[in-house]
Amino acid sequence: MTDRELERKLEQALDHAGPDDVESILSRCRAGKGTVVEMEDMITDGTVKNNAGESGNGNGNGGNNSSGSNGSGNNDSKNNGRKRRTWSLAAAAAVLALILAGSGGGIFYWQMRAVASIISLDVNPSIELRLNRNGTVLSCKAMNRDAAAVLYEMGGGADLEGIKLDVAVNAIVGALLRHGYLDSISSAILISVEDSDQGRAARIQEELVTVVDTALQMSSSQSAVYSQKLTVDAGMEIQAQNNNISSGKAYMVNQVIALNSSLEFEALAALSVEELRDLIKIGAPGMPIGTGAAAIIAEEYAGTNVMDSNVVRDVDPELDDPVPHYEVELNLLSGEEFEYRIDAFTGAVLSGQQDILNALQEPGNGVGTGSQAQEPGNGGNTGSQVQEPGNGVGTGSQVQEPGNGGDIGADGAKAAALTHAGLSESQVSHLEVERDWDDGRLEYEVEFKCGGYEYEYTISGTSGAVLDHEMEWDD
Amino acid sequence: MLIGGEIIRTMGPEADVRDRKKLDRLLLSIADGNREALGELYGCARGAVYGLALSILKNSQDAQDITQDTFVKIWESAGYYRSMGSPMAWILTIARNLSRMRLRVYSHMAEFAQEQWDAIPAGSSAVTVEDRVVLQTVLAALEDQERQVVLLHAASGLKFREIAALMEQPVNTILSRYHRAIKKMSAQLKGDVPL
Repeated sequence: MTDRELERKLEQALDHAGPDDVESILSRCRAGKGTVVEMEDMITDGTVKNNAGESGNGNGNGGNNSSGSNGSGNNDSKNNGRKRRTWSLAAAAAVLALILAGSGGGIFYWQMRAVASIISLDVNPSIELRLNRNGTVLSCKAMNRDAAAVLYEMGGGADLEGIKLDVAVNAIVGALLRHGYLDSISSAILISVEDSDQGRAARIQEELVTVVDTALQMSSSQSAVYSQKLTVDAGMEIQAQNNNISSGKAYMVNQVIALNSSLEFEALAALSVEELRDLIKIGAPGMPIGTGAAAIIAEEYAGTNVMDSNVVRDVDPELDDPVPHYEVELNLLSGEEFEYRIDAFTGAVLSGQQDILNALQEPGNGVGTGSQAQEPGNGGNTGSQVQEPGNGVGTGSQVQEPGNGGDIGADGAKAAALTHAGLSESQVSHLEVERDWDDGRLEYEVEFKCGGYEYEYTISGTSGAVLDHEMEWDD
Repeated sequence: MLIGGEIIRTMGPEADVRDRKKLDRLLLSIADGNREALGELYGCARGAVYGLALSILKNSQDAQDITQDTFVKIWESAGYYRSMGSPMAWILTIARNLSRMRLRVYSHMAEFAQEQWDAIPAGSSAVTVEDRVVLQTVLAALEDQERQVVLLHAASGLKFREIAALMEQPVNTILSRYHRAIKKMSAQLKGDVPL
């Protein structure tokens, strides 16, 4: 047999073994592609329908329903992705439905589709999973934008349907880690289990804590794991939906309000799980300023707010400290770190060095000539420059241009970012690559857009490793 | 490739160009919302898409899912297609990305590590005994990457340099994998498994 004959046999075998059901594809392809599909059209299994509260939020995120859609024009595919496997089973399902309609099998079928437990996972992304009584995921729903970005690689959550809870949670925790949500020691994940059967709720809670804890340990994450069993009423569910948080987090917010009724639900909903937990612990004496405000106060005090680059490395809430505060860590391009303690309720600066840029301009301090001068790429230079000693990062650590062999080049960086995103160049738009320096390291900043998202990558200029990446809604 | 029940093979450069132009034309029609064009493209490319998805996912059911999803995605994305001489590569890039996304989900599942080569979908009446031998037994003898190259070359009509670009590997690597795979397959067919 010649090579060509062998290949022809293979080709023929693939034609026979591959799907041959164009009708099911056409049924998923809507006319006027690129338009937003109505929510009702996207609901296929009837398990989760209550999305009215989100649809009006005006940010394109209203589609975080059970179908995992993001509400943008390109999300029909994700909606359709949800129907995976159904194409080959469609005929069988129709026959099955007829049989079940007249038999006790209907009860069994209903039980398999009925929601027995609701699990929510909250970090900042809030994700809700609905399970049947066998612990199989019926739907996975992103409750906010951050969650939609995390679930994007899982078909908006659709890929997790039909699989066991532990496997689904493992996948979600993996995605949270990859997106950097559980990097910080101050981060925490809250697992909430809602189930009328308290015994089953306890079993699920125990199992999930083990699954999440193991996954975090394996990735050396020091994040805390909290869990709770809860009973949610309709009012709380509406509160949760209106604030794009899970019912588990809503439950926690209500616990805080029970301690201090002057606090507002909406403001508390914006806090992290860690902050809420600490507030409950200390009796909720007031409304904390939040991590964002703490970072701004620290930056203003340090004088780094005039810089273009983001120097805030971490903001750690320490609300359960004898003096409740936020710890803000600033990192300059020179590698120097500065810590600030900001009072959690008054916003007063408790400790930290003031006006660090001016202080560091003094001869011998080695940080350069001013805040703007520290920014490689400022002043119209797009990033391919070598920093002159004393003009940029500092006298002791001036940047050395690596040899040509050590630079992966713009194309290499682009390829690394696209590969990581699982996209090809033809699929993305607004692709930009910028060569840059960060603390003496050659880096490439790669930005592009696809499917309603903006992607931003920082790629090591020498190894091609992905140093940082973000994916967020393109408003 | 199967077009309207008739097998059209890429027999040389002219036929190759014809095939590419045909796929180009179909993709442009799909961009205009032509559903028939999508049906025709499906007939032309479903084997190649299935072959690629199967080579990445190693599981027939998943590969079938991805094949269907790929064509839905093509329907939605055809407006972004720009003819650059290799419409099949564009189609297969979508299939590859969807397959990789599926793999990412599976990479967190313990049982994925034990995933065995499973090329034959359950209940597929169109699969002959010969298909079964070629797809299941013979391909099982190959390394993952060898299998990928040989399936792509057989089913897609892509040139080796295009396969190299798609798989993000040097063309020499692709060529040596292909020849190694063909040798192994021939040996299998001659020695152990009579057709």
